[in-house]
Amino acid sequence: MLSSKRLVLAHFWLAFTVFGLALLLGAWQMLVRSPLLAWISNPEWYYRSVTAHGTVMGYVFPTLIAMGFGYAISELALERPLIGQRWAWTGFGLVVVGAVMAMVPVSMGLASVLYTFYPPLIGSPFYYLGIVLVVVGSWIWVALMSLNLYVWKRDNPGKPVPLAMFANVAGSLLWGWTAVGAALELLLQILPVALGFRTTIDAGLARVFFSWTLHAIVYFWLMPAYIAYYTIIPRAIGGKLYSDSMARISFILFLVVAMPIGIHHLFTDPQVGAGFKFMHSALTALVALPTLLTVFTICASAEIAGRLRGGKGPFGWVAALPWRNPMMLAVTFSFVMLGFGGAGGLINMSFQLDASIHNTQWVTGHFHLIFGGAIVIMYFAIAYDLWPHLTGRALTSLGLMRAQLWLWFVGMIVTTFPWHYVGILGMPRRMAFYDFTNTALAPEALPVTISVFGGFLLVISGALFFVVLIKGQLAPKAEAGVYRFSIAIHPPTSVPVALNGYSLWLVLMIGLTVVNYGFPIAQLLALKNTSVPAVYVGAQP
Amino acid sequence: MSSERLFTLSNRWFTTALGLTAGFAAAAALGGLVLLPYAQPNLKFSGIWDAICSAAGVSREAATVAPSAVEAKTSAVVMTSRMLNHPSAASIGHGGTLALQCAICHSGDNVTRSEFPYLAGQYAAVIYKELHDFKAGVRVNAIMGPFAAALTEQDMIDLAAYYSYLPRVPAYHPGPGAGEPAIVLSGAPLRNIPPCASCHGAADNKAGSPRLEGQSPVYLKTQLQAFASAARRNDISEQMRNIARRMTPAEIDQAASFYAERP
Amino acid sequence: MTLQDNHAAGAVVAARVERKWAMVSVAVIVLLAGMAAFAGIHQATMPQARVETADPTTLHIAGEFVESNLGSALEPDGSVTVRAVAQQYSFTPQCLLVPAETPITFRASSADVVHGFLIQGTNINTMLVPGYVSAIPIRFDKPGDHLMPCHEFCGIGHEGMWANVKVIDKAAFLAMTSAHRRLTCVE
Repeated sequence: MLSSKRLVLAHFWLAFTVFGLALLLGAWQMLVRSPLLAWISNPEWYYRSVTAHGTVMGYVFPTLIAMGFGYAISELALERPLIGQRWAWTGFGLVVVGAVMAMVPVSMGLASVLYTFYPPLIGSPFYYLGIVLVVVGSWIWVALMSLNLYVWKRDNPGKPVPLAMFANVAGSLLWGWTAVGAALELLLQILPVALGFRTTIDAGLARVFFSWTLHAIVYFWLMPAYIAYYTIIPRAIGGKLYSDSMARISFILFLVVAMPIGIHHLFTDPQVGAGFKFMHSALTALVALPTLLTVFTICASAEIAGRLRGGKGPFGWVAALPWRNPMMLAVTFSFVMLGFGGAGGLINMSFQLDASIHNTQWVTGHFHLIFGGAIVIMYFAIAYDLWPHLTGRALTSLGLMRAQLWLWFVGMIVTTFPWHYVGILGMPRRMAFYDFTNTALAPEALPVTISVFGGFLLVISGALFFVVLIKGQLAPKAEAGVYRFSIAIHPPTSVPVALNGYSLWLVLMIGLTVVNYGFPIAQLLALKNTSVPAVYVGAQP
Repeated sequence: MSSERLFTLSNRWFTTALGLTAGFAAAAALGGLVLLPYAQPNLKFSGIWDAICSAAGVSREAATVAPSAVEAKTSAVVMTSRMLNHPSAASIGHGGTLALQCAICHSGDNVTRSEFPYLAGQYAAVIYKELHDFKAGVRVNAIMGPFAAALTEQDMIDLAAYYSYLPRVPAYHPGPGAGEPAIVLSGAPLRNIPPCASCHGAADNKAGSPRLEGQSPVYLKTQLQAFASAARRNDISEQMRNIARRMTPAEIDQAASFYAERP
Repeated sequence: MTLQDNHAAGAVVAARVERKWAMVSVAVIVLLAGMAAFAGIHQATMPQARVETADPTTLHIAGEFVESNLGSALEPDGSVTVRAVAQQYSFTPQCLLVPAETPITFRASSADVVHGFLIQGTNINTMLVPGYVSAIPIRFDKPGDHLMPCHEFCGIGHEGMWANVKVIDKAAFLAMTSAHRRLTCVE
């Protein structure tokens, strides 16, 4: 049973509220730079909006979802109240204060540096301090997750850690370590300049630090979705989880190899040696492994559900699946988008193919498809699944839920496929304005226009999502029953100690980080003459 | 099972995981740092150590190529944001004394149709750079050249301090207030004209870009035309010539009168 | 497979299928990585081999990026080196002139913030990070015009940072080199 309902609900409501606002900003950005609308005339508004959209969608929204879901998992999987509730509220408070502190200068146009910071551009120090507070708040969650698991293990020696909690803590540890890169960049490089203690900054080193965070943060966003794949979906569609130990191995693989691969974002950067680019590229290939394993396990779990429902033959089980169940729809859409996004990711991963699409609109399409598509649709599914247990009121608008998920899926495809296409044509990303009357850009006008309509669909879907939740909040009280996670078809009675804890995997994670990042960072730190003057944004000198 | 030890060679998970990870990392390092540099046919290395170092990213200074024919002198001023930001009172005072000889042309009294720029409240870095360029003969002007030639480095810093310290007198020549022209707010992207406002105030300010509000429209127009024709070429790496040469005469007029009419 | 199977035997089958799938996954990944490595070596599209540094604040005063040295230069070995500077918010030269069917090396750096260097319709795509020099080898097959936008957010005027690349016939280019040391197509 959940004893921290208010805590979890607070996280989810805040997460989805800021998500809704950032969604509107995103749609507005697509509209104003499309051929549909006369130009807004002030490019600064656009970059301000991109900064807000990215900061909210990249840092605040997924962090709150992971935190809220993590607290819920801890209580539901370990079947005991959360230890450290007061600390959890403190963490939540820090995220709130941090988000507000970051968003005020952004909305005033004092920090239009985009959520990727881009030093030597330097904005208001409050923007960076706000981000730091959000991260510190999430680190409280990281610590609480490990603490709760530790206490449970002490009380249950030798028992297998429930899969949901195992995955949840793996995700929290991954975040704890991957956030270090951006934290180093902010604390050692950007903040001293933003606060006026220094006037120069090594932009190349900053980009290396940021890449440490930037890739694995996607896996942190992904974790709640993967946890839902393994521990919610099989149960929700009336099946069983195909394999418990394969699930553990997948999460362990994410923990070990998701992080020391970030330099693939810097394939074309002049400050990193070609050898390290190759090493990161090779390890990036490896990170496809846990996803391929997951696809297999979840499809096999769905097959179990289909056969339990009477499906026969090699494909008959597909027809027998509960297609009117929103959870079935969500996971299907998520997989389709993950498939397309993953295929695009394999292209980004190789230096040679990356050269034709690096930093174009393709990349925007890629991560919107993975994050906004495959991951966020699972956030919706998680909310739908948990809501009755959080509010004590049933969500009954199944038709609305289906419509919402369909719209999100179609909207995301219509938005991102044209982006991929114009990216191949060489359309640069993050520009406030494109002159489509120019003959060289004219071929991009139609795809860009189409994608705007995808954006409209996403806004409608987002609105429907709130309608579903609010209708749920207004419904009469109904006992939701005991919450349970999926049961493996062969539930483990004991698991090897290696798959029941993290020590070995943390050693490997940190070891690989040192191998892959140690020298590039040390070498740039040692370079004396590459610090460049800061360029202040939004403020008069 | 709770007694099962993990960090021991007899634990198969430990040995396999460690072996696979270390093996993969070693293979990737071997491939990236040793094999690949040699697989690139057009690279010459002085030995294996050189190849490994270059692949690892050990840096070297870019080779200096001496330009053989110098076509025209360009500015030698290093511009950074926050330069000359905190002048001392003594510097401002000395600058004020020096500025007595400048006041005939650069006082704000007759700015409306003046061909001379209005300097009160201008950024110190801008004043300093222009004086420096006049003195070096990079920016050519029959009146300013001789004046600047007589100035020392400290004189230029002091003059910059003084003029940036002077309050800007609100312009007394407000125009019809036609609103911001497109060239100022949006530029013309495909002609490589960014918005004037992104460097000269109104949206953002770039180090070394002068404040233009309230400036003499005649002066602004003359300078834009000089940049366009490359008669003036002391802008670092052509940053202003790139823009001015692609502006239409109408856009030059609009930008000049817009900034002149701003308070 | 049904759930009524003997539990232990089922678990063994499940583990075997899983292992097979894991092998297939690994094979897929090895194949993809191998293809990338092969293409890199045989088509000579590799990352820049050396890290080179250059002080962004003095690019215009000394070194290879001074104004009079920017543009296309014919090298003694018949190749062409094109030097460019990126700054808020333009590339200098604003229009790059290059010959077709000639080995070309672009060398560029940034004078202030991070910029992007992308020539549409080609695989030329790199970052310009202040403090460092980017070098990209390329060969254009045929004459034509390309747009060259900055593809990294570099400030409020980013959307206005577009340069042009003009690829001309090799003979015409060589004829021009006798009159000018550094070639550009800036009008």
